[in-house]
Order: sequence, then C-alpha cells, then structure tokens
Amino acid sequence: MHIPDGFLSTPVWASLDLAAVPAVGYFARKARSDIEESRIPLLGVMGAFVFAAQMINFPVGLGTSGHLLGGALLACLLGPASAAIVMTAILVIQALVFQDGGILALGANVLNMAVIGVLAGYLPYRLFGAGRRKKLALFAGGLLSVMASALAALAQLAVSGVPIRPSLAGVSLVLFFVSGVVEGVITVAVAQAVENLNPGWLARAEASWKPGVAFFGGLAIALASLGVLIASQAPDGIGKILEQVGIASHPAGLLAAPLAGYEVSWLPGGWLRKAMAGLAGLVAAGLACLALGRFLARRRSA
Amino acid sequence: MHHVVLDRWSRGRSLLHARDARVKIVALLALLIALATAPAGAHLALAGYLALLIGAVLLAGLPLLPVLWRAAFVLPFSATFAVVSWLSGDAPRAASLVEKSYVSALSVLLVIATTSLPQLMRGLEALRVPRLLVLVIQFVYRYLFVISEEAQHMALASRCRAPVRAGARNWKARFRAAAGALAVLFARSYRRAEGIESAMAARGFSGHFPSFAESRLRTGDFVFLAAALSVTLAVRLGAAL
Repeated sequence: MHIPDGFLSTPVWASLDLAAVPAVGYFARKARSDIEESRIPLLGVMGAFVFAAQMINFPVGLGTSGHLLGGALLACLLGPASAAIVMTAILVIQALVFQDGGILALGANVLNMAVIGVLAGYLPYRLFGAGRRKKLALFAGGLLSVMASALAALAQLAVSGVPIRPSLAGVSLVLFFVSGVVEGVITVAVAQAVENLNPGWLARAEASWKPGVAFFGGLAIALASLGVLIASQAPDGIGKILEQVGIASHPAGLLAAPLAGYEVSWLPGGWLRKAMAGLAGLVAAGLACLALGRFLARRRSA
Repeated sequence: MHHVVLDRWSRGRSLLHARDARVKIVALLALLIALATAPAGAHLALAGYLALLIGAVLLAGLPLLPVLWRAAFVLPFSATFAVVSWLSGDAPRAASLVEKSYVSALSVLLVIATTSLPQLMRGLEALRVPRLLVLVIQFVYRYLFVISEEAQHMALASRCRAPVRAGARNWKARFRAAAGALAVLFARSYRRAEGIESAMAARGFSGHFPSFAESRLRTGDFVFLAAALSVTLAVRLGAAL
C-alpha cells in the first residue's frame, strides 16, 4: 500500500517525514557498521532481487495468485538494518521511477514498509527463530510484517481524514490478514529453499531470549493496532481522538504551549501563519529527538 | 520497456535538463508542499499548477501526452479512495484526492524526466541524504532490469519444461516450484553480487562513485530556483485570496 501525495494531511506527512529522517539515518549507520564497504553492491542487488521476486506469481488456491512483498524475508537474509535500507531504496525508486507512492508521503511509506514492516517481520525470527520453531517464526514474520505496515498506513489515512468507515476497515483487515498469511507462507517456502541451497545465507537468529526486545516489539505492535482502532472510530480525524481521550476539553494547558494556538503573531495571513507555527513546532520536536538520540548514543559508547 | 522511456527523456537537452539537480529537488519540494497544504476546494490553484507543469513539459521538449498518461499511473489508487470518500458524502475531498495526487505525480515525473538518476542521486547526496542509501538506490536501479529479465527467462524456461496445468490438485506442487525458483533467483543474484563486488574492488571502488560533472551552481540555477519558488508561492497565495 503505497500512499501517494495529496492523501495525508499536512501534520501527518510532515511529522512522519521528520520521524523517518532519523530512523533512516540510524539504520544507514547501523548497516554501515554491520557490513564491509565492499559489500554495498550486495545490498543493491538484493533490492533488485526483491523487485524481480514480486514478478513471480504464487498460486494460492481458488485460481488467485499472490506475490512476495519481501520485508520479512530480507530482514532474515540481511539483518534488519540492511533490510530497512534496501526497502527504503526500493520505495524511493518506486516513488521516482514508477509513480508508486508520493515524495512527501515517502516518510510515511518508509516508516510503514521499511521500518515497521521490516522490524515486525524480524521480531519473531529474532525471538524464536533459532530453535525448532524456525518455520513458525518465519511465517509469523511475514504475517506480522504485512499486517503492521497495512495497519499503519490505514491509521495514517484515517487520521488524515480520509473517511474510513468501520465496515470498510473490517473488510480491509480481513484482506490484510489474507495477504499476510500468503506472505508468511511464501516467506517460509523461499527461506526453506534458500537454506537448502546454502545454509549460511539465512542470518543466524539470536539464540537468547531478549525480554527487552520482546517488550518493545509487543508494545509497538499493540500501539499500532490501538491506533488503527481509534482512528477507524473517528473518521473525522485527530480532533475526535483528542476529544475521546479528553485532551480537547482543556486545550489551553496541553496543546497551546509553547507555540500559543499554533500561530505566529507577527506573520500576516491565516494559513501561512499556521503553517509556519506548525513547521516550527515540528522542527523543534525533530531537534529534541535528535538531541535525545545523540545523548543516548554517547551514553552507550561511554 | 517502461524504464527506457524515462532514461531517454532524461537525456534530452533543454533549459530544464541543464539545471542542477539540487535546485530542481528544492523547487519540487516547494511545489509539493504548496500542493499538499492547499485546501480541498482550491481548484484554481491546482489548475494553475497543472498549466505551469504542462508548460514546463513543453519547454523541456518532452512529448506531452505520454507524460500525462504516465502520471496517470497514480489514478487507480486515488480513484479507489475517491470513490470511498464520495460514497460517504465527502465529494470535495474525493475531488481533491484525485487532483492533488495527479498534479503531484506529474511534478515528480517532470523532475525525473529531465534529470538522470545518477545526477538526481548526486543532488540528494549533496542535500545530506545518507551516502549508503544513495549508493544502494543506484545499485538497485542499475540491476533492477538485469535481475527482472533473469526472472523472466527462468519463468519462460520453466513453462517450456513443464507446461502449467492449472487446477486445484497440483497447486501445491506449483507453489513449491515457485518457491524453488525464487531461491534459485536469490542464489544467482547473490553470486552476481559477489562478481560485481570483486570487479568493482579490482577497479578501485572505494565506496564512492566519482563524478566528472561540475558541481558548482551557476547563475541560471539560481534564476530558475528564484523563479520556481516565487511562481509557486504566487499561485498558492493568489488562489487563497
């Protein structure tokens, strides 16, 4: 589900772009330290492989066919950081060359498919991919990856005010689940076949159970599903959500500070003023995230 | 094929082709932001941008109808959601979804059709996009069609060896065959990557593509940027009045 430009409301695409920039920067640095400089062509060729793999049709019964999306498979083959970079590169090419997905919506698409999709696809493999339940882990990875990306995209559309009625959301959930199951089955089959060719190609899963990873992964998935549930009940957008959780009743205290009423008083014109104030708020939030990331990185390396 | 058209278009010679990738990227982002923040009923502004983009396509010497048709690739997705919006009684939003997504796609297409991908990537790198990502994008684009053709050859070969018998009974076998084909495609891609790596190492690849093009911004680039930004802002403000 590639979101084109013109679908997301300005606060949504702008904040997702600002969130995607540090995420991609982090994965680029992580991937850089994971692989050697001379192995960069491998990442590119793997991206081309995923593109080509999407052209091979799998019969899934009832005369229909599906194809691989590849997030979970790539994560298990290359590791999550490299997989996220490869998926980001694919999304950029799809947006530029194939008019599939927008440029301002690129942040949303990257977060949905390259970050959330890859991490959700890798999580089960990381947790229990080492033991006898490897097949189950690969299947769950494919299923989770598709479900999580699709839910995130649906939630972003709903929050942007695209009217998505509960009935429509229900139908799409069933469709997402079916395509997730197909993705899971294909991921298992291809990973198995790859392992038969060369057991070393599948990235080795961590043998140890990591409670922290499990906790944050579970939390992220819970938040994503909660988001879509709330969003599907509030088709009028973010205002309703705020109303539901009771923020809107006292906006002066929570939302107004520090950019009072989202307006910069010395600027003329309504929308320009609001846009400038919103932008300033987003930049401030982005800088805060950047500073926090730097701080955490320094503490870890110290 | 598909991609060859874009490559041919981007090799043309015109005022727009000659501009530096960096100023085109900045102008594109400004236009996209102006489009995205336009209110749902701003048909006049969108028509203005459409007219400007059509003028730019003609100025760049690109064939108008094929470009307009290619930008329409975005419409199936937009139309689906437009119908959903329309059915739930939000007709202005339905119109705005279609208009905005089409004009946005057209503007992206104009930039990619007047800038070669390596130039565009160099521009992105100059604008601080991580170098690893820029390199991977270039490798994906370079080998996309190579690996796709390999996949097509494999599909053709398998059809020659074993004609497809559709039917409920043997779909399991066909499924396993498709998975095996993908694994073989993966193995071939992997080996190809190893070959590319050693060939590039032998030629002294140091994690960076050297560029022989001049990277200094010229007066024409600044003039173009100023003109593009002011026209974008003028149309947006003019329609808001």
